[in-house]
Amino acid sequence: MLTYLLRRLLLMIPTLLGITLIVFTVMAMSPGGISAQTLVGGMDMKPEERLALLNYYNKRYGLDKPAPVQYLHWLNNVSPIGFIADEQGNYTRFSLSKGMDLGTSFQYGRPVADILAERIPITLLLNLITIPVTYLLAIWVGMKSASERGGVFDVGMGMSMLALWSIPTMLAGVLLLGFFANVQHFQWFPTAGIGSREAQDMPFLPHWQETGFVRGFLLDRIWHLALPVLCLSYGGFAALAKLTRTSILENLNSDYARTARAKGVAEHDVLWRHVFRNSLLPLITISAGLLPSLLAGSLIVENIFSINGMGQLAVEAVKGRDRELVLSITWISGFLTLIGYLLADFCYTLADPRVSYD
Amino acid sequence: MTNHGVNRESFGARIWRRTLQGVGVKLGLAWVGLLVFVAVFAPFLANSMPLLMSKDGVISAPVLHYLNIEDVWVLSSFFLALAVFRLRISTVRRILLFLLGSAVVAVCANLWVKPPVLVIYDDFRIPAYTEVNWRIMPPVPYAPTDYLRDLGSKGLEAPFQSEGHLHLMGTEENGADVLSRMIHAARIALSIGLIASGIALTIGVVVGGLMGYFSGIVDMLGMRLVEIFEDIPTLFLLLTFVAFFGRSLYMMMVIIGVTSWSGYARFVRTEFLKLRKQDYVQAAVASGLPLSSILFRHMLPNGVAPLLVSVSFGIAGAILAEATLSFLGLGVVDAPSWGQMLDQAVKSSTFNWWMAVFPGGAIFMTVFAYNLIGESFRDAIDPKLSGQSEAKP
Repeated sequence: MLTYLLRRLLLMIPTLLGITLIVFTVMAMSPGGISAQTLVGGMDMKPEERLALLNYYNKRYGLDKPAPVQYLHWLNNVSPIGFIADEQGNYTRFSLSKGMDLGTSFQYGRPVADILAERIPITLLLNLITIPVTYLLAIWVGMKSASERGGVFDVGMGMSMLALWSIPTMLAGVLLLGFFANVQHFQWFPTAGIGSREAQDMPFLPHWQETGFVRGFLLDRIWHLALPVLCLSYGGFAALAKLTRTSILENLNSDYARTARAKGVAEHDVLWRHVFRNSLLPLITISAGLLPSLLAGSLIVENIFSINGMGQLAVEAVKGRDRELVLSITWISGFLTLIGYLLADFCYTLADPRVSYD
Repeated sequence: MTNHGVNRESFGARIWRRTLQGVGVKLGLAWVGLLVFVAVFAPFLANSMPLLMSKDGVISAPVLHYLNIEDVWVLSSFFLALAVFRLRISTVRRILLFLLGSAVVAVCANLWVKPPVLVIYDDFRIPAYTEVNWRIMPPVPYAPTDYLRDLGSKGLEAPFQSEGHLHLMGTEENGADVLSRMIHAARIALSIGLIASGIALTIGVVVGGLMGYFSGIVDMLGMRLVEIFEDIPTLFLLLTFVAFFGRSLYMMMVIIGVTSWSGYARFVRTEFLKLRKQDYVQAAVASGLPLSSILFRHMLPNGVAPLLVSVSFGIAGAILAEATLSFLGLGVVDAPSWGQMLDQAVKSSTFNWWMAVFPGGAIFMTVFAYNLIGESFRDAIDPKLSGQSEAKP
């Protein structure tokens, strides 16, 4: 198992290299490209200050060098092992413990690692709430429609799930925000962010005070996240519910299910103990692909609901041509995706004892 | 007596017949057909100038005078496609003939069509155009960029609310008619869907075909490339491409195509891995046919059916991608698109439901239509499901 894990982790490296190489090439080949001139341009500065800033950028990021050299330079900074530069910028010593340096964002002027450390947990929070909600609902609906095959619920579900899946996230988000978080219609939910300022000082759980009801930190969070999570989950829910239905239907009439029924096992147990367990595998396969789509979805949802997560950061970074930020965001989301695949492969062994990786 | 008749129906014909059985796919095709009609005849459906008018005995068609190069090209390509479809030649020849013809038309249109550089929509509401014997106006008598300044439009009017002129779907903040903008935006949605997935399909088929045919080291390297493109969240890559490479419509088509080919490559690869040791392929290799002939004339037609499914889902995905980019403010600048109109609805200071519901609804309907078509293709092709349907007559 350990060798398998190690091999998978090592195989990630070329993929991640490829991802960064593609994104870097796109940025380097773009008209105008990224140079110190474009970064310095537009600011109101004296000529010598401008020159100093230009020199600083060139020295810091090597922007006056050819693109392949710039890429290697960036790669050396980011990789946990690599060469260490002395004061003159010459690479002299090879070190195994130099640590990762994600660089400094052009537009924020802060280390990329700090910015990402603020933003990633928010996006992960959104996604980690969404995934279980999606799965539980989808399994329930899929199970119900498979066990009542051909019934009203099943037929109605077949079409409406495809329709639900086709609703663009932007439309759903805009309408939800416009109707349920708007003074013109129903102001039931907050319009932006994942928590209100005053909730920072509240106790965790809701309770009564002399001043009245205090909603507490937890309830405030839920109140803020309700619409974004709804918006993020319905598409995956529809796809998963359809998948659950087909995969359960395949197993429902199989020999082992018939045998179990013949032995007198209750229908409920046949469904949940025998059939369900065998129908899980396609659901796990899909879960690996769910993470990239959720990351992309949170990009839209975060922009609609003004949540300061990684999706919003990605749009800002790309619009501001912030090379360091774009590269880091890309390889980190690629990394998260690969980890998702790995986790899915592990879940196979949990769900099905026949699967092993030795 | 049992029926011993041999089914002489070809595989392609059988799939078409099965696909067209459902109700959903008919609805989907009907919607796409409507979109094609609307997109092709957009200048005649929504424009500020009269289609035909008679003044002092002189009959003129002002709308023809103002057709731009794109309009002319789209219209003549449409009729060319209809004509080519009628010819009794093979599909590949039809496609080639159509591409050649529309390229010729494009060149001619660029040479000879000289629309007026400046269109002042207010002019069509002065007596020169209004005091006539009779005139026929388009069904939606407003151009997409006609802001109705001379009519004292304040912008932002709900459907049926404006005085003196009728807006079926209201107006946006600058006073332009929402329905008219949507009609003209149908062009962008359709063309993005078709051309972007065409590009993706071409790259996918070539890469996947080579991978499947050669297998071995080519396959391994190719699969790594496919994995890389699959692991970058497509939207991030799209954003990066669009933000760094400008925002013309054609650029966006290419970019969406370049970022979404990996699925097709996977499909074609598995098909070709199955086919490469079959006798007829071996025979083609033994007769010394060139590689392109083996790949595209012998193997591809046999592995193409499952691709239909992913193409129709891919078109839906491409339309969605364009809408998303426009929504994030990275879309085409000079022409209205559905995603951009949705973005306008968000950016405006108050929430105006008609600005969000209609363009968003159009995106939804189009995506839904293509998904329905894809779904029924899958049902028609899937041997498991088809076995069931044959068993129960």
